[in-house]
Amino acid sequence: MAKYIVKRILTMIVMIFVISFVIFVALQNTGVDPVAQSLGVDNYSAETAAAIREKLGLNDPLIVQFFRWWGNIFKGDFGYSIANGYSIKDGVLAKWPATLEITLWALVISTIIGIGVGMLSAFWQNSIIDYLGRAIAVLGNSMPEYFFALVLIQIFSIKLGLLPSAGRIPVEGSRIPNLILPIAALAIPLCGNLMRYTRNTMLDVANQEYVKLARSKGIPEWKVYFKHIFRNSMRPVITILLFRLTILVGGSVAVETVFAWPGVGIVLTQAITASDYPVVMFYTLFMAVMMLSISFLIDLLGAVIDPRVRLEK
Amino acid sequence: MEDKKIILDVKNLNTSFKSDGKLIKIVKDVSFQLEKGRSLAIVGESGCGKSVTVHSVTRLMAKNSVISSDHVIYRKFNEDGTAKEYRIDKMSNYGKEMRSLRGPEISMVFQDPMASLNPVYRVGDQIIEGLLEHNPGMKKDDAMKMAIELLKKLGIPAPEQRVKDYPHQLSGGMKQRIVIAIALICNPELIIADEPTTALDVTIQAQIMELLKKIQVELNKSIILITHNMGLVTEMADDVIVMYMGRIVEKGTLKDIFNAPSHPYTKMLLASVPVLGMAQGQKLTTIPGSTPNPADLTEGCEFADRCPYCTDECRKGRIPGYEVSEGHMVRCRKFAGNKEVD
Ligand SMILES: Nc1ncnc2c1ncn2[C@@H]1O[C@H](COP(=O)(O)OP(=O)(O)O)[C@@H](O)[C@H]1O
Ligand code: SF4
Ligand SMILES: [Mg+2]
Repeated sequence: MAKYIVKRILTMIVMIFVISFVIFVALQNTGVDPVAQSLGVDNYSAETAAAIREKLGLNDPLIVQFFRWWGNIFKGDFGYSIANGYSIKDGVLAKWPATLEITLWALVISTIIGIGVGMLSAFWQNSIIDYLGRAIAVLGNSMPEYFFALVLIQIFSIKLGLLPSAGRIPVEGSRIPNLILPIAALAIPLCGNLMRYTRNTMLDVANQEYVKLARSKGIPEWKVYFKHIFRNSMRPVITILLFRLTILVGGSVAVETVFAWPGVGIVLTQAITASDYPVVMFYTLFMAVMMLSISFLIDLLGAVIDPRVRLEK
Repeated sequence: MEDKKIILDVKNLNTSFKSDGKLIKIVKDVSFQLEKGRSLAIVGESGCGKSVTVHSVTRLMAKNSVISSDHVIYRKFNEDGTAKEYRIDKMSNYGKEMRSLRGPEISMVFQDPMASLNPVYRVGDQIIEGLLEHNPGMKKDDAMKMAIELLKKLGIPAPEQRVKDYPHQLSGGMKQRIVIAIALICNPELIIADEPTTALDVTIQAQIMELLKKIQVELNKSIILITHNMGLVTEMADDVIVMYMGRIVEKGTLKDIFNAPSHPYTKMLLASVPVLGMAQGQKLTTIPGSTPNPADLTEGCEFADRCPYCTDECRKGRIPGYEVSEGHMVRCRKFAGNKEVD
């Protein structure tokens, strides 16, 4: 087990390195001229451009630039936006807590409610709770996130006047009311899918022969569902659950835009549309690390849940 | 059979399934009685409703099923000779009363040992789950000791280690012994085994059946054995029920059925087994004609299309059961001169 974990982590480091190199080369060849991008076309002489290139090390071989980039990262220097000139550290990383604040809560809440209601819908199939879960799932899937956000604002801010419609830090008083609507807008669509998925997986497992055997022991139904059905349903559920963690890195453009939330979502989207490649590079790397860690975690949890999964192979 | 100790008494059991808005009858007017300490074999082609019959009795049925009956009675006999009656037909499927019977009174061994064990729990924990449920306050360690003791009796080597295994670490025969241990751990009076060895190879089949027989005889337990292996029937059963398309077509003691088979279907069944008694691995060979769709049948004898003796009478109304000799019943118009018993 320990040996397997060490091996997996080492492989991950190598993979991140390789992935980052591929991204680096690919972005270098998109045809975007960083000098033109940052100074604006035709605003400078050829000599100025050459001087800047030399200063930034853009004339060095690609491989040298690549290692320089990694070296800087280890020093805590993530580079600068070529579109706006901000340092990535201040422009992106500094905004990350705001993103985490709502995405983390949205994930936790949607997981608890999603799995909880999913279980109850399986237990009380075709009951009110089951229909409610189905309705939420249909809503969540058919409406875009920003529409949800707007509906929430319409109801809770404009009609009822209960909650603020925008901003992260209120002029005075508690910050909690500001968090509620953005979190809800993120969580509701996440919830719906998870409820249905949990419910359907559990109903599939409920048809297994070992569930009948469990019932033939005379144990109560709630134990049949909790011990025998739920645990066996968790592997597929955990997979979709963990892949959602990527919103922790990327945030949500829709929700941040509607609620004027100062997170990373907007910044990253702008960077991508503007071919701001140092920012894109940084973002892609971050995402790659995240995805690799997630699939590692999925394998580990899978082995914890299901003894048939052998890690060392 | 008034004075005898009837442990299970089923009267006019009918089970249907709802599918596509239609109700399809699978088990039709099934009645039988099982005496304490005896073993009853239910035989018949696959799909004829054997499993549905016993699952209707124990109420472990799919949600789309509709069960009705005059009564299904389980009797629990006390040491002083008195008995307590349980009206299973009036209980709710997973209610407290029904659950109190499952395990300590009635237990089941299912067909497929590969699918019968929960893959994520250690087999020891699966064995003691029912024991702990029915004996509140029992310590887990003590329960595990009982499980190990039972596995030893079932001929499992190194049971202390085995209880810590997960199902996927065990062979098919070993898994089925675990399933049997689960069925026996609460010391039930009635054991229902639904084709318990079909998935296993012949030698292991024989070992497991011997084991069940031994338990039945030594501990005076009652067994219902579903099988389509006629060889097993001769070795295991005291009484035999032959089913065809959801109906009991013949019923009697082992001797009645094998020495004086009366229903044309029973005769065909037996004719397809060359050496009785020794035919361990023998399965029923195919009988000419195909099983009709249960949804198509409305009245008359279910076997009519495949029966060489079929007359016009056979296609009308309900075919009664006639007495061949005492306790030996056949559902066939050929015996219309005999006394009607069902
Ligand atoms: N849940 C169900 N819904 C619909 N039909 C079923 C269901 N369970 C069993 N059946 C049908 O009932 C018939 C008898 O099945 P079964 O009792 O399992 O046969 P066997 O005699 O082989 O044990 C089969 O035709 C089967 O398709
Ligand atoms: S009732 Fe008629 S059709 Fe049915 S088995 Fe007897 S003789 Fe054959
Ligand atoms: Mg069956």
